[in-house]
Amino acid sequence: MAGSQDMFDAIVMADERFHGEGYREGYEEGSSLGVMEGRQHGSLQGARIGSEIGCYQGFAFAWKCLLHSCTAEKDSRKMKVLESLIGMIQKFPYDDPTYDKLHEDLDKIRGKFKQVRALVSSCW
Amino acid sequence: MKDSLVLLGRVPAHPDSRCWFLAWNPAGTLLASCGGDRRIRIWGTEGDSWICKSVISEGHQRTVRKVAWSPCGNYLASASFDATTCIWKKNQDDFECVTTLEGHENEVKSVAWAPSGNLLATCSRDKSVWVWEVDEEDEYECVSVLNSHTQDVKHVVWHPSQELLASASYDDTVKLYREEEDDWVCCATLEGHESTVWSLAFDPSGQRLASCSDDRTVRIWRQYPPGNEQGVACSGSDPNWKCVCTLSGFHSRTIYDIAWCQLTGALATACGDDAIRVFEEDPNSDPQQPTFSLTAHLHQAHSQDVNCVAWNPKEPGLLASCSDDGEVAFWKYQRPEGL
Repeated sequence: MAGSQDMFDAIVMADERFHGEGYREGYEEGSSLGVMEGRQHGSLQGARIGSEIGCYQGFAFAWKCLLHSCTAEKDSRKMKVLESLIGMIQKFPYDDPTYDKLHEDLDKIRGKFKQVRALVSSCW
Repeated sequence: MKDSLVLLGRVPAHPDSRCWFLAWNPAGTLLASCGGDRRIRIWGTEGDSWICKSVISEGHQRTVRKVAWSPCGNYLASASFDATTCIWKKNQDDFECVTTLEGHENEVKSVAWAPSGNLLATCSRDKSVWVWEVDEEDEYECVSVLNSHTQDVKHVVWHPSQELLASASYDDTVKLYREEEDDWVCCATLEGHESTVWSLAFDPSGQRLASCSDDRTVRIWRQYPPGNEQGVACSGSDPNWKCVCTLSGFHSRTIYDIAWCQLTGALATACGDDAIRVFEEDPNSDPQQPTFSLTAHLHQAHSQDVNCVAWNPKEPGLLASCSDDGEVAFWKYQRPEGL
């Protein structure tokens, strides 16, 4: 008796069983595709930020060399702000994407770069 | 409320264009207006009427959005959609451009001088607020670029006596900034408005800040320093700001500007429904929960949106307003009897 009940169960529940299996397979495949896509997207975003900060750093180092010979009092602010920008860039935790102040610090770096750019533009 | 706001005169300040903003000089003798025609005009009285004493027509490639006089009255700053801010030096009726401040990425929306005269603030659609320092030789240097807002910054204003800066933005917040170790930091964010905050005004004492918004309300915020009597909690050494009053139901459209008279304490608003309103604080209202009453409501003050209202700093009750219709109007406000 128990045997024939199992047989009918297998037939009656077939639909639901196939749905379940299909869902699980699809979910697993979707998850792994999602992780790959996310990884690509993350690499791209990370590269963009790296490129942006790298540009600011290069700019700052170049101007630091150019202003090295200037000893006028007025230039002391420029040097101070340049050093501040370089410091901020060096302190930034590049290998921690979960850093809670990531965007706040990035915005501060961007603001500091704009200030440096405005200060040195009067040197042309 | 009849006759509490009486028209003294109108001038076609920026014909075929919008008049965006007005600023009285510290002596209260001149009014600067700026507009969509890229010009700045300086108005003064001649007998009973207002005449144009100077025009600054070169200097900006696009709309001039705001103008501001320096505390000494010798300089005028103009903020333009062309992304620059010009500083003009006054020499009797002539204005000479002494410098052009560049750096913002797009439209500059506001400019303001600190009471000390040594600092200037600008803000822009690029979401940033810039603080500039000026020395005795008229040299301007950027002291800080603040990226605290997440959207277009509409207005900046300095505290009347402290080195404290306030900004209003399309992101629905008001932010406050102060200097900390050679740099400027955001020390408070005032949340509460449900839409763009268009303008700000400090009260004469600087203890309160009024803000006006696209959400059709005016909010009054009060400063609570650390260790205050009311027991309002503060984090660190920065004061906490709380909203102590909301004026809603008075305006039927966006409120574009608010002005707090430094002589009488009256609050004037400029609204998108073409009207000008004046509010006064009720005499015995609780400082922690002040109440304000509407003492003047002038419908059709202009034929289009009113963009700015400005109280004369020396003559109590003298109010100037300007509009999208290109006109500037002068008003005499008298507090109604029995209030």
